[in-house]
Amino acid sequence: MTRNTEAVFILAGTVLASVGVAMVQFAGGGWLDADVALTFISFALAFGALHVSFRLWAPNANPLILPIATFLAAIGSIEVFRLDPDLAALQRWWLVLAGVAGGSVVWLLRSSGVAVLRRYRYLFLASAMVLLLLPLLPDAWPIHGATINGSRLWVRIDLPFGVRALSFQPGEIAKVLLTVFLASYLADRSEAMSTVSRKVGPFRIPEPRHLGPVMVAAGVAFAVLVYQRDLGASLLLFGLFIGMLYAATGRGFYLGAGIVLTTAAGVAAYTMFSHVRVRISAWIDPFADYTGAGYQTAQGLFAMGSGSLTGSGLGLGRPDLIPAAATDFMFAAVAEELGLAGSIAVITAYAFFVAVGFGIALRSRDRFKKYLAAGLTILIGLQSFLIIAGIVRLFPLTGITLPFMSYGGSSLLASALIAALLGRISHEERT
Amino acid sequence: MPALILNALKILFLILIFLFLWQVGLAIRSHIGTGPSVKRAKGGHELVVLRGDAKKGTTIRLRPSGHTIGRSSEADVVIDDPYASEFHARVETHDGGTMVHDLGSTNGTYVNGRRITVPTPAGKGDTVQIGKTILEVR
Repeated sequence: MTRNTEAVFILAGTVLASVGVAMVQFAGGGWLDADVALTFISFALAFGALHVSFRLWAPNANPLILPIATFLAAIGSIEVFRLDPDLAALQRWWLVLAGVAGGSVVWLLRSSGVAVLRRYRYLFLASAMVLLLLPLLPDAWPIHGATINGSRLWVRIDLPFGVRALSFQPGEIAKVLLTVFLASYLADRSEAMSTVSRKVGPFRIPEPRHLGPVMVAAGVAFAVLVYQRDLGASLLLFGLFIGMLYAATGRGFYLGAGIVLTTAAGVAAYTMFSHVRVRISAWIDPFADYTGAGYQTAQGLFAMGSGSLTGSGLGLGRPDLIPAAATDFMFAAVAEELGLAGSIAVITAYAFFVAVGFGIALRSRDRFKKYLAAGLTILIGLQSFLIIAGIVRLFPLTGITLPFMSYGGSSLLASALIAALLGRISHEERT
Repeated sequence: MPALILNALKILFLILIFLFLWQVGLAIRSHIGTGPSVKRAKGGHELVVLRGDAKKGTTIRLRPSGHTIGRSSEADVVIDDPYASEFHARVETHDGGTMVHDLGSTNGTYVNGRRITVPTPAGKGDTVQIGKTILEVR
């Protein structure tokens, strides 16, 4: 019965995406054309693949993961289509690919279960590290890193015969692999790490040797910041480490240590790197350097302001004036064309996703699966929080994608993997 | 296309969005909740959770054959307490009285605040502490 509910929700989300694309075309003075049908087909294929894989190999999976994912992807791809129909055509392929990849993960884990991942944790750690380092490959190589917007997080593969280069962001997949590693590591250690034996003043702290992982986490995050100049990925990884440590041990100490370390690293980064200083000053006063560093943030603010309560209507605003609107500034584009109402809907959907994810984690008995579900949920929640907070100037801007919504193959792929893993965990733990 | 129709479509679209989310929200509500972290058993006396991660007031009905209490999912009564051992203690009822056995737990089992080394009787109103969870015999 629950699987049928899921199917109905997915169908509704697919229709929502097609209706939105149709509305963009109406607004542009056009009439329905192939894009509406193609949107429908791509959503039906992508989420249909995930849905069928759940039906076959994870029949007891939580039926609400996919509906929320469909909803977010629908709003996202409408806005991508509105910004650039060519990107939307690529996005449709990415979506289908991500759906099939997610379904394949469910199929791969059909008999061994998620628990098998626990055994390969060091393989995952090593692959995550390699993936994180890939963008540093020198430019002259056929597979090389690429610097886009000042951050070096892309890998480009030059194909022969003049075919366009294939680029992807390995960090997106690395963060999922790291989550698997951390869940496995913590499943073995959380007991020792949660005993707080020492007292220093009013604080009860764990044994110093348990602080090792926290320091390693801080180190990895800081290295990402230094070598790839990527504030977003750095904060996301560190937040993930700290969040999972807290989830596994229930010790507020780790949260406190995380906040202290983040602040310290932030201050250090501010004094050491000019690109961090630029980000901070664009956060505090984007209009001070409107034509320069503050331009993107300021344009985002204008977009959200002109969106008002219900927005300009799909296809009727000018979100194309925001740099990187289809990726990092997706939220500002949605806020302009669907207004406060639409933005609240998006935030609600993320909140729902987090609620469902933590629900799965809470009700899982097996520790590894519990921590994995919590970690994947933290990943989605933290990532959407960081980028939305950056756009509304609650927090310095970090260039990361909005999961499920932004344009980008690597991002969609990672999001689909997360949905597939959460589905499989909820199936195995009967939550 | 006239602005009026486009505006109407926009509002309609927003309504659709919220309708979708409303339905998802309803479905979540019927799904969510941490669920009882203490399994219920049948017959005999009762143990009531006074303090701990498990919901306060959760009642475990004791059956005469006794149960193991611990964090392991294999235990008869599962308590989700990081200070409890996998199989922490065993509670048995004999002729109306309740006996508490410690199963070699790491942090010990306490009856009325005293760590037990041998099977200890616990009557009505006595407290049994396992990890950070305190139960009262009723």
